[in-house]
Amino acid sequence: MFFNSIRKANSALLGINARNLTYKRPSNSRRAIQIADSKLLAKKILSKNGLPTLQTYSTIKTIQELRDFDWTSLPSTFTLKPNKGLGGEGIMIVYGRKKKFPYPWIKADHKHIQIKDIQSHILNILEGTFSSTSLPDIAFFEERIKLLKLFKPYAYRGIPDIRIISYNSVPVMAEIRFPTKESGGKANLHLGGIGVGVDMGTGVTTNAIQNDRIIEHAPGTRLPLRGIQIPDWKEVLRLVVHAQQVTKIGFLGIDIAIDREKGPVILELNARPGLSIQIANLTPLDDRLQRVKGLKVKTINQGVKIAQNLFGGEIEEGLEEISGRKVIGINEPIEILDKEKNHHSTMAKVDTGAYRTTICSVLAKKLNINQVIGQKKVRGALGLEERPIINLAFVLDKRLVTTEAFIADRTEMKYDIIVGRKDLKRFLVDPAKNVFMRRKKL
Amino acid sequence: MSFITQYMINQGVPQETIILLLMLPIFTTIIVFARQIIGIKGFGIYTPLIIAFIFLATGLKYGLVLFVIILLIGTLLRLLAKRLRLLYLPRMSIVLIGITLTILILLLGGAYLEQKNLIAVSAFGILIMVVLVEKFIALQIKQEAKKTIILILETLALSIICYWIASWPWFQNLTLAYPLWIILGALIVNILLGKWTGLRFSEYSRFWEVIKNIEPAEKK
Repeated sequence: MFFNSIRKANSALLGINARNLTYKRPSNSRRAIQIADSKLLAKKILSKNGLPTLQTYSTIKTIQELRDFDWTSLPSTFTLKPNKGLGGEGIMIVYGRKKKFPYPWIKADHKHIQIKDIQSHILNILEGTFSSTSLPDIAFFEERIKLLKLFKPYAYRGIPDIRIISYNSVPVMAEIRFPTKESGGKANLHLGGIGVGVDMGTGVTTNAIQNDRIIEHAPGTRLPLRGIQIPDWKEVLRLVVHAQQVTKIGFLGIDIAIDREKGPVILELNARPGLSIQIANLTPLDDRLQRVKGLKVKTINQGVKIAQNLFGGEIEEGLEEISGRKVIGINEPIEILDKEKNHHSTMAKVDTGAYRTTICSVLAKKLNINQVIGQKKVRGALGLEERPIINLAFVLDKRLVTTEAFIADRTEMKYDIIVGRKDLKRFLVDPAKNVFMRRKKL
Repeated sequence: MSFITQYMINQGVPQETIILLLMLPIFTTIIVFARQIIGIKGFGIYTPLIIAFIFLATGLKYGLVLFVIILLIGTLLRLLAKRLRLLYLPRMSIVLIGITLTILILLLGGAYLEQKNLIAVSAFGILIMVVLVEKFIALQIKQEAKKTIILILETLALSIICYWIASWPWFQNLTLAYPLWIILGALIVNILLGKWTGLRFSEYSRFWEVIKNIEPAEKK
């Protein structure tokens, strides 16, 4: 048992070794890594392709430029970032400016700072203190994201961001990260931020972790972290696929924030995304990557659809566990039992407007289950009608249902069988599920 | 003893030089193994390696004491120098000068108290240790304290393991007897380690919640 789970873990989880050797190196060219490692270059390429990024107020490349910098050009709120910073290091967030002399700016932790503080921070950036390569770096001022009201109760003095790992033009796993008191208003997990798994299909949050341990509520509150709907989810996924296609970073971690006014905005690209996203989702990553490997994804919508269909459904599973019922869509594959209890599969339409299930008389005859056991009157659009009733057994989403059903001539209809609400008591119907599933006639 | 090493020693190459040279591939392999299989990060390959060699030169006891003293003084000086608001390199240079001063005082104290072992500690060991401080301090500036301490401890642990192996007489004789096999073996092990894509030991504990979750998910 123990060794078994070790073996399974080894084949399904993505470790650092495999990330570097199997995914990062073959999928990401030098150019791709260059784009991901330079925030300014990434922004340039993304915005050229019409993708939403944050506005850059000004850049400072040399000490001379710092000396000549016009401080009056700065707005009262901004962020200051190193171009090649790693893991959120060296980012300074400024929330506002006091109106009294000496006009200090206010940081996230309510500390006051003045021009000389900002200057010394920029000096550190220029020297490459925060740079991934320790080489001289560029500092730039950027517009600050405005926090979405929805996220306000969860985020401690900072902006939550959505991290999505995308491979081969298919978003594979997603997580939203909330800054906490412990992390000092930064959304970085290794500093003590909260990571919450996100269902790929719906954009609703699932499990939450802090410091690699599972938690249920936002710290110090009773707000559940589960079940938060991220707005514009489809748009977020579309941005991910589009950004991957224009930057050609084959194995990409992308950070997206949602601005109160601008909507989803791409913050940063990452060619070596962290792996703790697996803990927040309680799902191994390598499994998913393998399923996407080699797929030919042509359009953005296709990539989004594949992601939603392949990797969605965690919410449903959770719902099924709580309610004890299966979640089904409007079109569902169904297996009808014939007289000898053989299974025959076809597609059914789930119809909560009808009370009783109706099966096509031709199909019933074919399966030899058309022994009429009674008659019932139905009031339909065509007026009062009397329909024969038969015994029927079918399997819907792995559950056996035995019932009495109408038979009617449905040869002209799209589906051989409609399932009415009398037989749906053990299911929950989600009209958004399986919308694209093809029907097939028996 | 192998023919090659025997010949070199007869011609006047110091035995210690040969042993230290042959230890290098062993050390690098240990460090690579610790990183790729166990998940002990340390400071790249250079730092644990050079500290292990310093320990061999100074002895473990004095080496460790020196290391801790230099690190503490370096950290203290960094915090003081921070207030001067200087550029990085001059600031770092000031920190190193401060450490040199401390070590001189330490040696003076050792001379006064007639601590023969302390004053006889290898000069090169001390110098390299002082220079290494730059790496640790650069890390302190970048990352939070907890992570830095863990990295330093990991580096020390690696160096001490390397030190033990290199000062093990049986192993020293082994390297002298089979110098080529040692190098070839280290090469092959490194090629294999370089292709290893499995999980590191540390990752099993890191992802334990996920691993627990794989099993029930498959039963459904």
